[in-house]
Amino acid sequence: MRKDKGDMELAIEVPQPRLRAVPSEPAPPDPDPSDAELLARVGEHDREAFEILYGRYVRPVFGLALRRLGDRGHAEDAVQEAFAAIWRSASTYRPERGAAGGWLYTVARNAIVDRLRRNGPAHDAELPELTSAEAGPAEQAEGSWVSWRVHRALEELQPREREVIELAYWSGMSQSEVAEYLGLPLGTVKTRTRSGLARLASVLEGELA
Amino acid sequence: MNRDPSLDELIGVEVSGAERERLQHVHELLLQAGPPPEVTPELASGPTLSMTLGRRRRAVKPRAMLLLAAALATALVFFAGYIVANNGGSTSATGKGPVQELALRGTSVAPGAQATLKVWQAKDGSNWPMTMTAAGLPKLPGNEGYEVYLVRHGRPWLPCGTFRVTSSSGAVTVTLNAPYSLRRGDSWVVTRPGAGGTEPGKTVLQPVSA
Repeated sequence: MRKDKGDMELAIEVPQPRLRAVPSEPAPPDPDPSDAELLARVGEHDREAFEILYGRYVRPVFGLALRRLGDRGHAEDAVQEAFAAIWRSASTYRPERGAAGGWLYTVARNAIVDRLRRNGPAHDAELPELTSAEAGPAEQAEGSWVSWRVHRALEELQPREREVIELAYWSGMSQSEVAEYLGLPLGTVKTRTRSGLARLASVLEGELA
Repeated sequence: MNRDPSLDELIGVEVSGAERERLQHVHELLLQAGPPPEVTPELASGPTLSMTLGRRRRAVKPRAMLLLAAALATALVFFAGYIVANNGGSTSATGKGPVQELALRGTSVAPGAQATLKVWQAKDGSNWPMTMTAAGLPKLPGNEGYEVYLVRHGRPWLPCGTFRVTSSSGAVTVTLNAPYSLRRGDSWVVTRPGAGGTEPGKTVLQPVSA
């Protein structure tokens, strides 16, 4: 508990029980490590941590690459390069300087921009994001960041919640049609949708505000 | 064109106050973000060894590249000569492309579906790698999956692998295997389980010419 400046120090000496040294046992692995913890482990070249991090971020990275490069083949190459860059530079991540998600976004974006430069100016013409007259660079960057965080947050949902959210938002089906499609009662679909949205809100709060 | 869902339809009108604002914010972010991309099976299978072994690429000078190319070409010519000399020139060219490519279209079970199935050269004469890219296949409930069947004598004959559709767009790319001795006239269909899980079930995709 945090002490306020006005708190008084107690001057009573409380006898402390003698503690015996106990051989320390290795702590059990965290079943759900944070991204920052995983990055710290990747910085020590922990492949298992890298695989977990990859599972959480492969879709956001691929989405970002696809958005910027506009070509699935180039985007797949960019994903390879982005994760190779993450593996190489994870040890430089400092949690006190910002969230792990933001750091990963920056590393991935830089790898994608590198590929964009290598592809040359001829390829730029294929990029809808760069040729759009509707949104400037700032809006594009914001849009990419929102997609990144939302797609990352979707990875935190239970599969059954994620399924109804994806169908509700991107299949064009009504809730009744989703219920019929999944063979579930309409009430169950609505409950899962609401709980999924609430969980997404919890994940995203403080990240995108 | 998909319509955007309304929050009222998704969560009902009875949610109000701060909770509604919270969900409204997420609702707008989801609409702004758009759907996440469907990754290929190769990407979904996990990080590759090259990601953790690879070193930062350094720009290779054109002259160094030319020297490297010349060295590789020399080695290739030497190697090819060696192979021919030791096998009496009997090695058969396997070719790099698929040995068979099949366009599939949806039946009445999935009228909007289509796919391309490619059969690649078997290394041992009996295990034929196959890749299939499909679109428009509906997601099946629960753990049900589609099955690819080798068709012989006009009917589904032997199974070649199963796959599931997880994307809402119904797009999927899968790697399969036909572990059989193929014959001229063999073909493939995609089926979904029939009532009670019976196999081969209903045909969902069939060759365009069928």
